[in-house]
Amino acid sequence: MNKISTDILVIGGGSTGTGVAWDAALRGFRVVLVEKRDLTHGTTGRYHGLLHSGGRYVVKDPQSAIECIEENRILRRTHTHCIEDTSGFFVVTPEDEGDYPDRFRAACAKTGIPCEEIPLKEAFRREPLLNPRINRVFEVPDGSADSFLATHATVQAARQAGAQILIYHEVVGLLTEGGEGDRRVTGARVRDAVSGEETVIEAAMTINASGAWAGQIAATAGIPVRVIPGKGVMVAVNHRLVNTVINRCKMPADGDILVPVHTVAIIGTTDERVTDPELLPIEPWEVQLMLDEGDKLVPGMSKARILRAWAGVRPLYQEGYAGDSRDATRALALLDHQQRDGVSGFLTITGGKWTTFRLMAQTTMDKACAQLGVERACRTADTPVPGTEQGYYWLGHRLHEVEEHHLQGDLVCECELVTRAMIEQAAQNNPTVTLDDLRRDVRLGMGPCQGGFCTFRAAGILAEGGEGRGARDEEEAAVPSATSEWEVAYMQSPKHNIGANGARRSNRRFDNPNLLLRDFLQERWRGLTPVLWGRQLKQERLDELIYLSVMNVDHLPPDDDTSPLTEFWQFDTTPGATAHKEGDEL
Amino acid sequence: MIDLLVLGAGLSGLVAALRAAEEGRRVKVIAKGMGAHHWNAGTIDVLGYLAGDEQPVEAPWTAMARLEDDHPYQLIERDAARAALTWFQTLTARCGLGYAGADGERNMLLPSPAGAWRPVFLAPAAQAGGEADAGRPMLIVGLEGMRDFYPHFIVRNLTAAGQPARAATLPWSVVSAARDRNSVQLAALLDEPAAQQRLVSALKLVAQPGERIGLPAILGLHRHTEVMAALQRELKCPVFEIPTLPPSVPGIRLTTALRHELERRGVRVEVGMEVIGFHAEGDAIQWVETATSARPLRHRAAAYLLATGGVLGGGFSSDPGGRFWETIFDLPLTVPQDRTQWFRPLFLDPQGQPAFRGGVSVDSSFQPVDADGRPVYANLWAAGGALAHADPILERSLEGIAIVTGVAAADAIVRERDFEGVRG
Repeated sequence: MNKISTDILVIGGGSTGTGVAWDAALRGFRVVLVEKRDLTHGTTGRYHGLLHSGGRYVVKDPQSAIECIEENRILRRTHTHCIEDTSGFFVVTPEDEGDYPDRFRAACAKTGIPCEEIPLKEAFRREPLLNPRINRVFEVPDGSADSFLATHATVQAARQAGAQILIYHEVVGLLTEGGEGDRRVTGARVRDAVSGEETVIEAAMTINASGAWAGQIAATAGIPVRVIPGKGVMVAVNHRLVNTVINRCKMPADGDILVPVHTVAIIGTTDERVTDPELLPIEPWEVQLMLDEGDKLVPGMSKARILRAWAGVRPLYQEGYAGDSRDATRALALLDHQQRDGVSGFLTITGGKWTTFRLMAQTTMDKACAQLGVERACRTADTPVPGTEQGYYWLGHRLHEVEEHHLQGDLVCECELVTRAMIEQAAQNNPTVTLDDLRRDVRLGMGPCQGGFCTFRAAGILAEGGEGRGARDEEEAAVPSATSEWEVAYMQSPKHNIGANGARRSNRRFDNPNLLLRDFLQERWRGLTPVLWGRQLKQERLDELIYLSVMNVDHLPPDDDTSPLTEFWQFDTTPGATAHKEGDEL
Repeated sequence: MIDLLVLGAGLSGLVAALRAAEEGRRVKVIAKGMGAHHWNAGTIDVLGYLAGDEQPVEAPWTAMARLEDDHPYQLIERDAARAALTWFQTLTARCGLGYAGADGERNMLLPSPAGAWRPVFLAPAAQAGGEADAGRPMLIVGLEGMRDFYPHFIVRNLTAAGQPARAATLPWSVVSAARDRNSVQLAALLDEPAAQQRLVSALKLVAQPGERIGLPAILGLHRHTEVMAALQRELKCPVFEIPTLPPSVPGIRLTTALRHELERRGVRVEVGMEVIGFHAEGDAIQWVETATSARPLRHRAAAYLLATGGVLGGGFSSDPGGRFWETIFDLPLTVPQDRTQWFRPLFLDPQGQPAFRGGVSVDSSFQPVDADGRPVYANLWAAGGALAHADPILERSLEGIAIVTGVAAADAIVRERDFEGVRG
């Protein structure tokens, strides 16, 4: 068995865990992070993309609101290129009666959230599709964030500071020593999900940042942690119906935020307490509720083509709380297990929200330093991650680069403007086990056809192993590209991925194209079935024509290979049944 | 007034129009779009798999006996169905686009773009050359950077299935100077003798004696037969085509051939005509109305054939409330009107998705019927992808059902309708 020794072991590759790894590495600690699947595979990769101004929580939870506005200002400096500066409206519809709008404005003033009531004429000029019956509009500094890119950029910053990131490494159990009253966590035993190999990681401090899975991790050391898993359903519409984040000016409820993210708009969310973070069925009523509520913001939204629905699970935490997840606090929760359970060397960080991930990491590492008896200041607030020099994200950046460098012929995913070289670079330089990993890297298959064309192409490209690279003329080859180290921060940029990488080190850990293809088709299907009707159903039937009739991928030569995803696709096959893992209790 | 108005320009609509025109009827075809054969492989799949069966169907005519009683194939005498395919083969041969089969009984196994064997009953002659045969090794050749064809992927799976094969890649510039070209544009470029010559020279460098050469289906758009002949003559070895990701060059060749044949017989095919309404008196349809740029246009005919396809063709639509409807006449559909019953959790479920099995129920004359089995309209017939009790994509019976039911419906119309009487 392999053995690694480190100062800080971080469990979880979402925004919080990667933030902790970044923070700890900048403080000069030796850091190892383990994630059981891909980076952002959990809640971080399933959120609506709202960079909060704090307005949403300002009346209900002013402390959370203050954290949001402070972090909002910091992330605009440290993760600039992961943020689109969309601004945000809080709109009052005829249904939103009462004095909430005035309380909202007063609370913003009190907490320091810039908030200006703007003339309706200006609001409708900027957002012509808004419900014309909206009667007041407040503007706040909300934004739209790319949590995939931000997490990768944070990880690159952590790596540059010396952190070691192990994805597809699942915690088998925490290591403990000592007896009752004097127990300490000394690290964890982890298993490589691809090779099955186990490694012991010894650490002075183990930080549980596994979100909705935090209870399961802590339980392996006999420590009770009751996370309140609050399922949130989100629905993506195939147009960017608005260019500004739109919030209903009322107490937070279901389906009251509409966020423009890249080429689409996302309406969210619900909040349902669930039992298992792996099991997140999307019910027809939840989708219908999102569409009905969306119509109140943008009339006719429910008639637009819906691309996909998905659910994330908020890892909320409130000691002793037993109520609905909607009313559970959004504040961060740092569990000091030394004080709480008499177990040292172990901290759990949960609760919070994407906007406050940096603060969560700072709070955690402050506590860790105190317990380790060292004084090292947090540096993340003043340290921009790689790529920030690009400035704010803007919608046209990919199209502009594709046109400027004549890359139309190399597009593999026309919906999201992903070029062949972007896929090859991501597959070579990011540990890639599934095509879904590439989706999180470069947005492969996220557009209207939901992988109809690019799934086959990506599988074909990976099957070629880089041999079938397209011929490019001299002029194109002369465009400067990242020559030394592959810049993760630029992985979504067509022009920074032209031509072959000098270092051909392959990070592909799994290269059976048949499984890559089938797993990705299944993953896409999972998000499609809740929203298949009308034109999206027609698109789906075209995908069936391609993958069944033309490709015959349901009859590829039999092999015994399984992927780390295979076990997730063991289903009850009756119509309407819920996908579940074999052996799960429903 | 015309005798027959065909609604839909997919395979079933074009075939039915030709069949009725051959019998001397005055026919017109109107359609919103181009039909699904721009997307498929261009082969005629009659029956490739029985639901839930892992192994491909070897002999489709025999295997049909195992289909449900109300499957479209069960509405037709087996001999009549065979005769329809023979008629199609004769027809396409006359158009200069030969379709070949194994022996009239069995399916061939042809390579898919993913390297899986496709069970195909009839294939364009160019694709039939790729039949599975371990004694005849294959060289699969692609173009560098071509996004819709991956020779290494194909070879990996063919080899795993026991077919000796190897992959090679030619420079893109052999076919095209510009990068941004899809398969249809590449095929058009290969209509030119100079491009063919460059391809031949490049292939000579990679081919070895005894190999047959498999290329993406881009070997000529309008001069396909000449291109194929030229390549095989120059290379002195068999050359065959493998379909690509859509758009489908073989499908477009077939559509073009059928439409030329229709034009030759004086049948107009008007695309871009979306039906927006119809009028019936009693049980007889009087006219259908289409949207045009100037004003709605009414089309009157003695008989109407619904050949608009299913979900893919646009014949059906659906909404989040779980409603599934036939888009022109709102005919009763057998699809469950409950969205939770439409799909299974697995995309590649061997049983298929229930939403796609439903459709329009017809009687043995291919007239749409209501819940009591009575024709909904006295002068309406239906054929192709709109028919209930089949999932043509899952079964690999899409083109077979289109041809067999298109011919059967046209024959029923010709036989059962006394057009002179109606006109009187």
